[in-house]
Amino acid sequence: MNPDHLLRGAGALAPALIADAVTVRYGDVTALSKVCARFEPGRIHAVLGQNGAGKTTFARVAAGLVPPAEGLVAVFGRQLAGGDVAEARRAGVELVHQSFALPPSFTVAEVLQFVGPISGLFTKRGIECHWQAWLDSLGLGLDAGARIRDLPIEMQQSAEIARAMVSEARLLILDEPTAVLSPEGTERLFARVRELKRKGVTVMLVLHKIREVLAIADTVTVLRGGELIAGPLEARDLTSEGLAELIIGDGAARLDAGDRAALVGAAVGQHDNHSLPDAPPALVLNGVSTAASSGGKGLNKVDLTIRAGEIVGIAGVEGNGQRELVAAIAGLDPLTAGEILLADRRMDRAPLAARRDAGLRVIPFERNVEGLSLSSPLWENWSAAQLVAGSLLAPVRPRALRSAAEKAFKAWDVRFNDAAQIAGSLSGGNAQKVILSREMDSGARLILAAQPTRGLDIGATMAVWKALRHARNNHAGILLVSSDLDELFDICDRIVVMVSGRAVAEFTSPWDLQAVGRAMTDAGKQIVEEATP
Amino acid sequence: MTGRLYPVIQTGAFILLALILCSLIFAAVGLSATETLRAILDGAFFRPNALSYILRWGLPLLITAVGVVISFRAGYFNIGAQGQFYLGAICAAFAAEWLRGSPAFVAVPACLLAGMAGGALWALWPALLRVKAGADEVITTMMGNFIAAQILVHVTSGPLKDPSGSGQQASSRPIEAAWRISDSSGSSLIIIAIAALVVLLGWWLVNRTSFGILSGLAGRNPVMVTWQGAKVQRIAISAFVLSGALAGLAGSVELMGPNGRLASGFLPDHGFTAILIALVAGMSVIAAAFIALFFGALTSSGLWLPVMTGLPSSAIDIINASIALFITAKAGVFRGLLIRLRR
Repeated sequence: MNPDHLLRGAGALAPALIADAVTVRYGDVTALSKVCARFEPGRIHAVLGQNGAGKTTFARVAAGLVPPAEGLVAVFGRQLAGGDVAEARRAGVELVHQSFALPPSFTVAEVLQFVGPISGLFTKRGIECHWQAWLDSLGLGLDAGARIRDLPIEMQQSAEIARAMVSEARLLILDEPTAVLSPEGTERLFARVRELKRKGVTVMLVLHKIREVLAIADTVTVLRGGELIAGPLEARDLTSEGLAELIIGDGAARLDAGDRAALVGAAVGQHDNHSLPDAPPALVLNGVSTAASSGGKGLNKVDLTIRAGEIVGIAGVEGNGQRELVAAIAGLDPLTAGEILLADRRMDRAPLAARRDAGLRVIPFERNVEGLSLSSPLWENWSAAQLVAGSLLAPVRPRALRSAAEKAFKAWDVRFNDAAQIAGSLSGGNAQKVILSREMDSGARLILAAQPTRGLDIGATMAVWKALRHARNNHAGILLVSSDLDELFDICDRIVVMVSGRAVAEFTSPWDLQAVGRAMTDAGKQIVEEATP
Repeated sequence: MTGRLYPVIQTGAFILLALILCSLIFAAVGLSATETLRAILDGAFFRPNALSYILRWGLPLLITAVGVVISFRAGYFNIGAQGQFYLGAICAAFAAEWLRGSPAFVAVPACLLAGMAGGALWALWPALLRVKAGADEVITTMMGNFIAAQILVHVTSGPLKDPSGSGQQASSRPIEAAWRISDSSGSSLIIIAIAALVVLLGWWLVNRTSFGILSGLAGRNPVMVTWQGAKVQRIAISAFVLSGALAGLAGSVELMGPNGRLASGFLPDHGFTAILIALVAGMSVIAAAFIALFFGALTSSGLWLPVMTGLPSSAIDIINASIALFITAKAGVFRGLLIRLRR
């Protein structure tokens, strides 16, 4: 297609974004394949799809960060070569990444003052006054004098948005902005986005929950496997079911209705409560506290019981003690108070090896750091847990371990060539299955599953859910930490909300999204009020 | 099979590249590159009794290098092999002094064990500083080398000084002749047997024990091993101590074998060459054994060159340095070190 033809009419009415047959490759992997889309200015456009669908790549190529291997990207009629932030900024497009990158020790005003070219002399008060007025006009609800590191996640995100708006972006792209927010935080973010739209800014939101898309977007574009499936479609014509099928594809009909809804964030799932009040407890925490670390505040008198045969979810905005909780139960964070019982045995000070011996298994937060040694062979990764249980001088038969590992991998449907290949050569989903095959053996009595489906595609997510339910049916107790409420609603029997290292509320099915969301935010306010009398 | 041969071919290619770089350097200082290289290879492999010289220098290097491989594999950059080697020789010399008069079958094993204990102790304190206080072992073990060199000077001119010794060279009294495990030519069946045992046990430890697999995992990702419940501190201390013990063993072999007495300034610097060997060998004990013999040949050639051809023995240092340059350029070991320093 002739680019001149595409770009004709550049100016006030030019489309905010044109993607014409855009293909992006990372090495051998094709992340986007011949995607064509045209976004009109002054509207809110949602890009929707599962993990691995190419959403983030699309956001990055649209923002001019990644050069397309083939095809053409144009913003407000200006073609972007890609790979040049300054060029993209001149064209009027800004991207807010999924992970934040503002300097933690800066104040909001300093960030805004110093992102662009620096000139002249400033006073602290001068720039704070200047930027406070500007922030208020955008309706971002930020205090210009606050330091980035003191802001809650939601406000850090606002600061990122403010940073992006300094250069007067006319197309603002937000990559998975709701992934780190509570339901109420999401609503406030959407209010800010609508405010930006009123001011004439075109917004492209990368999302993966249908509920959110239908709440905010004017148009919806669906990606799957790097290809454009549909869009931009007018959001008002769409139904939740129709979108779910577009996102999942052919496999949609085969999925259980509850799982399907949870995968795409369509509706709050309901399911039977499997908790048995008489079942023996697999884990009891009594008043457990841990010391504050650099990363967070530590646990604060957490009481929690998980019985055999139930899945207990830990909900909460990230950074509210979930990591500390998992580390404390695993014995990697010493307790400052309280007691931990695993299968009725006191284990407050027991090392992880002893806890594993008592049936504790861990699917850790960081798959590639805590879960696997990426540069080591698969079979070594798999057999580590067994080796730890014995003496350091115990003889090892590598061949036997390799074939045992291969057998386990096949049972878990891991796609691999050779048990001697390094773990880093596997995709995220396969890597997670290697961890499952190691941690979910028949001896598991209590499984800590920390964000076990983060970043996984549908197939791998379903494999994880199936494995967790299977373990539950085999009378293991399961602690599932997730920042995805739909996931928790779909597979948990009970949900405990954590705020600032405390367990503040407990819910059982039928789930009430609003109530859980309120617990995540209101309790936070209460704690802050208590701390500042 | 190609998968297994690949690292061999790669290492061979690096050594070849290093030799080419050396010839360029020789040419630049006005030496004939081809003649110099030929002289070096003659000295290493083709002079009379070349094999016995290779073994004399290669076997102590081998023993030390196996230890260095063990600590590198576990992710600890124990570059203190030289100091541990000195302490091994010193402790063996003390043992020999105390045991004067006892029969050889008691004294020889006792001295070798004392050497291992000395080396192990000299690796233990950096290990404890590392796991208890987080002190970087690169710094502590390197400082340990300097301290060990001073201890060597002190004991040879103090507690162990040979009263009948004359002249500038401070040294201990000679080891009893019956205890020597080789003459001054330096190769003997006993030393070959010790080296073979070290290779066998080292290979078994690394490839066929829990320690070997877990230390290999810990070397690449200590966080993962921690989440598996391994006692990472115990693995670390074991790796340090084993590595020091082997360097100490090499020191006592030098003392009981070719040297026959402890003399300041006359012990070879096997510890540094062993680090180079471990880097070239990747993480493999067997590879380290072969490469140690190769470097043993180069070392013997370095002593032969000035005598027979008038070429400077530093030609060998240039070869060693160029090999180190090429190997470290590719070594994941150093990448690992950088990642850790950044943390």
